[in-house]
Amino acid sequence: MNKQKKTANLIFGVLTIAVLLLFAFPFFWMLLASFKTQGQIMSTEQLFVFKPTMDNYSDVFKEYDFLKYILNSFVVALGSTLFALLLGLPAAYAIARHKLHKLGLVILIARIIPGITFLIPWFILFSKLELIDSYTSLILSHMLVGLPFIIWIMISFFEALPTEIEESGLIDGCTRHQVFMRIILPISGPGIITSSLLSFIFSWNNFMFSIILAGDKTKPLPVAVFNFMSYSEINWGGLMAAACIITLPVLIIALLAQRYVVSGLAAGAVKG
Amino acid sequence: MKRFRSLRLLAGIWALSVSVLASGCAGISHSGHNRGESPLPFQGKTITLVTANHPWADAIRPLLPEFEAATGVNVIIQGFFEDQLTQKLTLQLTTGAETPDVFMYRPLQEGKLFYKNGWLEPLDDYVRQDAEYDRSDFSSEAIRSATVDGKLAGIPVIMEQGILYYRKDLLQKAGIPVPDTIDKLVSAARLLHDPDNGVYGFVARGQRSPLVTQVSSFLYSEGGDFTSGQQATINTPEAMRAFTIYGSLLRDYGPPGVINMSWPQASAFFAEGKAAFYTDANSIFKSASDPARSTIAEHIGFASFPAGGNGSRTYNITSWGLAMNPKAVDKAAAWAFIRWATSKEIVLQTQRKGNPGARYSVWNMSEGTAGFPKEMVEVIKQYGIGGVDHDRPTVINVAEARETVGEIVQRVMTGDPDLQQAADRANAALQAILDKEAE
Repeated sequence: MNKQKKTANLIFGVLTIAVLLLFAFPFFWMLLASFKTQGQIMSTEQLFVFKPTMDNYSDVFKEYDFLKYILNSFVVALGSTLFALLLGLPAAYAIARHKLHKLGLVILIARIIPGITFLIPWFILFSKLELIDSYTSLILSHMLVGLPFIIWIMISFFEALPTEIEESGLIDGCTRHQVFMRIILPISGPGIITSSLLSFIFSWNNFMFSIILAGDKTKPLPVAVFNFMSYSEINWGGLMAAACIITLPVLIIALLAQRYVVSGLAAGAVKG
Repeated sequence: MKRFRSLRLLAGIWALSVSVLASGCAGISHSGHNRGESPLPFQGKTITLVTANHPWADAIRPLLPEFEAATGVNVIIQGFFEDQLTQKLTLQLTTGAETPDVFMYRPLQEGKLFYKNGWLEPLDDYVRQDAEYDRSDFSSEAIRSATVDGKLAGIPVIMEQGILYYRKDLLQKAGIPVPDTIDKLVSAARLLHDPDNGVYGFVARGQRSPLVTQVSSFLYSEGGDFTSGQQATINTPEAMRAFTIYGSLLRDYGPPGVINMSWPQASAFFAEGKAAFYTDANSIFKSASDPARSTIAEHIGFASFPAGGNGSRTYNITSWGLAMNPKAVDKAAAWAFIRWATSKEIVLQTQRKGNPGARYSVWNMSEGTAGFPKEMVEVIKQYGIGGVDHDRPTVINVAEARETVGEIVQRVMTGDPDLQQAADRANAALQAILDKEAE
């Protein structure tokens, strides 16, 4: 019996490592390649043992001016998440409390329709408004996905909260707004963090909207990464270094907020 | 009171949103060159230039202030990776946008489609009215590549030809001369093929669509072409011979997995010193001859494409051109820019940085060839006038047409016993594309 259990554990362990290797290897390769020269990356003999170089990273900042693109990405990702929260939280609360499920469905449709459908009308609209290559157009377009996301996660979150808390607040003399601001929001931390994190990551990684609506001034990271690829040359080392730099902030934020994310996802999931 | 407070909160949120949004829409800044001095021809005009991520764009960027100072035009330049560039141009031009005023495009890949959609301003009249510009100085193949329905759809900026890259050291050791015919290339590749010691005889693109432009040199040299008039001709005996030679070279003397290689993989393989011969465009010479990227940089040789049954015939084409948006607000300013960027003086400056241009006069100056390896200059000069003005089927739907050709070559590589049948099918598919477009 005990032996059987041990073998089961062993198999489980081996499988875990196998799966981990499978998922982590591309990242590991990316990290290694970011310290290699072009020749080393292409050579199969120098897969793990090689003389590391920092040139790629200094290129990324000096030659390709990545600081600018990092800043652009931060402005757009933070901006779109903040505005989506601003509109999405009250909306989700109203939908949850007043059972406006049809409205919820309409909002979900915006998420179901492929994003590219919006691009042509947006481009016409924004170019008439002279908003191409501005943070405004990028933030607004990224909200298209961030907002429904936040609303949908928060609806189930708000629905799970016992109405008794609100009722006691109302009895003690709070208005609806105060109940929302002072009671509901403070206890919704996990949900808000989960939804804003996902919205932030979406915006951080968004390529399709940015390529059309951004220009040289507002180019965000996913578009800028292609600066390493040109007609007759691909700078693999620089590309990998840039990819590492792009992954890092999201990784850090995700690790820091992980605790909340797990409880947030669970809170939405087990709602009866 | 409470109601008032929540109203104030809402108002605050609104004000915050508005101010943040507004701060994002800073207008386009106009740089005021020479304000108050003698009036410049296009004082205060702004044009948007969209380029590919291409060394040419890197070379032109630092020269822009010169143009701005001379004309008063303010140039906004934006660069994108080539596939993104196509996406962006397609979307913007579909919506009838006024920008970009001037853009880089690939005449043979997109030219026909863009022109038929009315996205490229015919430039014949601009060029004709301008004797100083000297149209006859442009390579006639380059001009033909950029011509659609008899109209000049763009000005050639970058030229490209097919060449043979080889390893001097390996050839010397084996005591064989540089192959000048395709037959000799095949036997030399067989002789030098030694995978046990890490050297393969031959490498080139094996991926279905990318290989098409490179198999074209074999095709022309054996006397074939993709089409003849409105007739698809990729199942003719000449075409079959060319496809079989290219496919068997890769199958018999190429690296494992070559069927998935495009130029980044193939050129890296060659730069690692693992192949004796490599046929591809001359534009990627740096990945093989730059010591930082290549372990065999000092052993690289460049030679003209070897001759087949129909002599040595490779493509000699415009890979990138400059075009004008027909909806551009100020076409005169847009033309002034194109004219400047493709003038003898500027082509000399961009060509010195390794961008092969289309002007004969620049190639004939010693300064004009300083950016290239000597041997390669010899090859390019030897091609001179001549060569084929396309390296892929000249249709609107280039992507689909390339697939039909690529399929035949890949079947050679995988050893399909019924090759002719497959070629007939592919030919019919290409014919269908041609017929559809002729309607």
